[in-house]
Amino acid sequence: MAKRGRAAVTICSDAFLTLGRAQARALGSPDLPIAVIAHPFGIRTREEVRKMADQCVDEVVKLVGASELK
Amino acid sequence: MSSRDNAPERAAMFEAPEDFEAINKLYRERRWSDGLPIVPPTRERVERMLAHTRRARGEIVARLAPGFGAATVEHVAINAVLAGCDPEYLPALIAAVEAVAAPEFNLQGIQATTNPVAVWIIVNGPLAKRLGINGTFNCLGEGTWANATIGRALRLILRNVGGALPGEMDRATQGQPGKYTFCCAENEVANPWQPLHVERGFAAESSTVTVVGAEGTMNMNSHSKDAAELLRVIAETMIHPPSNEYTHGGEPWLVLSPEHADILKRGGLDKAEVKRRLWEGSKMPAARMSAEDLMRARDSRAAELGKIGPDTLLPISQRPQKIGIVVAGGPGTHSIYVPCFGNSLAVTREVESQ
Repeated sequence: MAKRGRAAVTICSDAFLTLGRAQARALGSPDLPIAVIAHPFGIRTREEVRKMADQCVDEVVKLVGASELK
Repeated sequence: MSSRDNAPERAAMFEAPEDFEAINKLYRERRWSDGLPIVPPTRERVERMLAHTRRARGEIVARLAPGFGAATVEHVAINAVLAGCDPEYLPALIAAVEAVAAPEFNLQGIQATTNPVAVWIIVNGPLAKRLGINGTFNCLGEGTWANATIGRALRLILRNVGGALPGEMDRATQGQPGKYTFCCAENEVANPWQPLHVERGFAAESSTVTVVGAEGTMNMNSHSKDAAELLRVIAETMIHPPSNEYTHGGEPWLVLSPEHADILKRGGLDKAEVKRRLWEGSKMPAARMSAEDLMRARDSRAAELGKIGPDTLLPISQRPQKIGIVVAGGPGTHSIYVPCFGNSLAVTREVESQ
């Protein structure tokens, strides 16, 4: 998406951040914006996931903004 | 010589100490091994390996997730040397690399997941006998050079070229012993039905490798002599609630012992009918899953199954044909259930003649 000129943000739990960063480098996007949320993710209830999304949204907006300025 | 170099033309060369301990120390420090000692990939050994393919050394066989390193023929050969392969094994390994890179195999998921999934290689056709790949006694155990080193070489390629290092891009929670090596032949002589490669559309005289995203092996020791009863206990073994297969609609596999296969054949069943009965017999009430897993199954299988309620009988796979069956092993009343990753389909590729 970023390579096509669209603002792009990846959301990743902290346990997968190493993978996310390494893969972004491998795919030629070392500066890929990544919003980080707390792990574990899979055992959360839907309600907890909604709260996490609410907490994460400001970071996503900030990263999208930074991405568009580039 | 390094197999981490991504340049497609030529693998990097480096000077290394001659003694075995020192070069293994180097490989250990750089994480270029799987935790076992390696055979030093000298120029001479790699050239001997390359003599067994007509392909150019710089040809890219595939780019391998999650690091998307280019697996050239030379990289494959280097890792085959590291693993201790005989040079004659190279074409089978090249076919295995092509197979794991097929989109439907979902190598990205298999390499980066928390799941313990390993890549199981099944070899069919005359090549299995020619290379001495074991499909009989202890075929998934230790002791056969070809089984051990071909499986190991693929794992080294997945690490060194694909970049799946544990704790980094390989996120496996525990992994499993099959990630060291997981390779066997089908026991075609003792198979009362079509061999796997013929069932999958290849000529009987061709040789193939089939790759499967396998979570492990579950033994099923049954002394039953009755086909229907034997299928019942196998189907009941396949049912387990915290299963990727029931969550996503997967592709479960069975390794039937020749004795069990014979009982099913004498019971009048062909392979398609065995699959159909196992598919029916392994349907699981959705309520057996945890509430969270049931929600995941609803998300994953809505298009296939529609609304899933607690009383819905979940099939283990979308269709009976998705159940994979091979006949392998020596005498004995043991068959194996191989639960699979779920988001992956097995892939078969023909091995090029030399």
